[in-house]
Amino acid sequence: MNTDQYYHGNLAKYLVRTQASLALLILLLLAGLDFFFPTNYRLQAGIHGISAISSVVVGTYLTHRAFTIIRGVHINYHSLRRWALGSTVLNFLGAVSGNWIYMRYRGENGPRDWILANAPDFHNYMMEFKEFITLFPFPIMAAVTFGLYYYGDAIAERRDISQFVGILILLSWLFLFLGFVTGLVLAKLRFV
Amino acid sequence: MNQPQQHTKQLFSGPLIAATLSLVLGFYTLMISHHVSRVSKALDKMVHSYGYWIPGSVGTGPDGSIGSYSGKETLALLVWFSAWLVFHLLWKNQDISIKRWLPFFLGSLAFVTLCLFHPFIDPILRLILG
Repeated sequence: MNTDQYYHGNLAKYLVRTQASLALLILLLLAGLDFFFPTNYRLQAGIHGISAISSVVVGTYLTHRAFTIIRGVHINYHSLRRWALGSTVLNFLGAVSGNWIYMRYRGENGPRDWILANAPDFHNYMMEFKEFITLFPFPIMAAVTFGLYYYGDAIAERRDISQFVGILILLSWLFLFLGFVTGLVLAKLRFV
Repeated sequence: MNQPQQHTKQLFSGPLIAATLSLVLGFYTLMISHHVSRVSKALDKMVHSYGYWIPGSVGTGPDGSIGSYSGKETLALLVWFSAWLVFHLLWKNQDISIKRWLPFFLGSLAFVTLCLFHPFIDPILRLILG
């Protein structure tokens, strides 16, 4: 590789990393600015929003790794284990902070009361669905993390086991994304 | 009969099947306890009582509480963890076909998700409960 090729190869790498970091930062503003909203529940809203967005971002990144596992390509399992553990922790934080914000959702003159009075289907169908399926990603990613640590690098020798782990990552992402979009819709409808 | 190679540790799928079966059972517990709590106030109170240990499980006013959701979460956690422990101990040295388990796993996950969607499950519940 000559100097020119090396320079351009690294330039692309830095630009990709810069773009990803900027995208994450800007996306986090979607919930980060909740901390400055005129409500007594800005802390709960901000923490839940940031953990939800981070979970979706990490979950989406992991789907790319999942497709590689499913295809049977050799990957760095050491790195995947750490990402899976991080995703499990974020999903747990999302569920706990979800409980915290859910208190205000159900509180006196809270979003539930308003939605039931003005657009009841969004509570009866959407919220009653969202509050349960958003609990799914944490146990699924806990199983993924368990599998990756339990089997270690030897998991690559069993195609069926590694493929199943890949499918679990995709399932976790599906429930995360469903929960994220329904949560955003409800927050848009009536903020805490 | 093929002997496993001596230099590689044999991997069993049992532990991963145990981990995934137990989470499915946890999800079904969540779904069933949710619908049980909708039948009557007494049943809702009973489900709620399992979750009193969770901060914010009771309370009124603007700050609210998570109510019987805390009980549903507790029951689901109990089933998930205990099933995981039992099945893991039972199957840690067993090789169970993932190819056969996968359709059951995906099907049961799809079904429990549908059962949490009221427009799907409510007509069925009305038919059962009258």
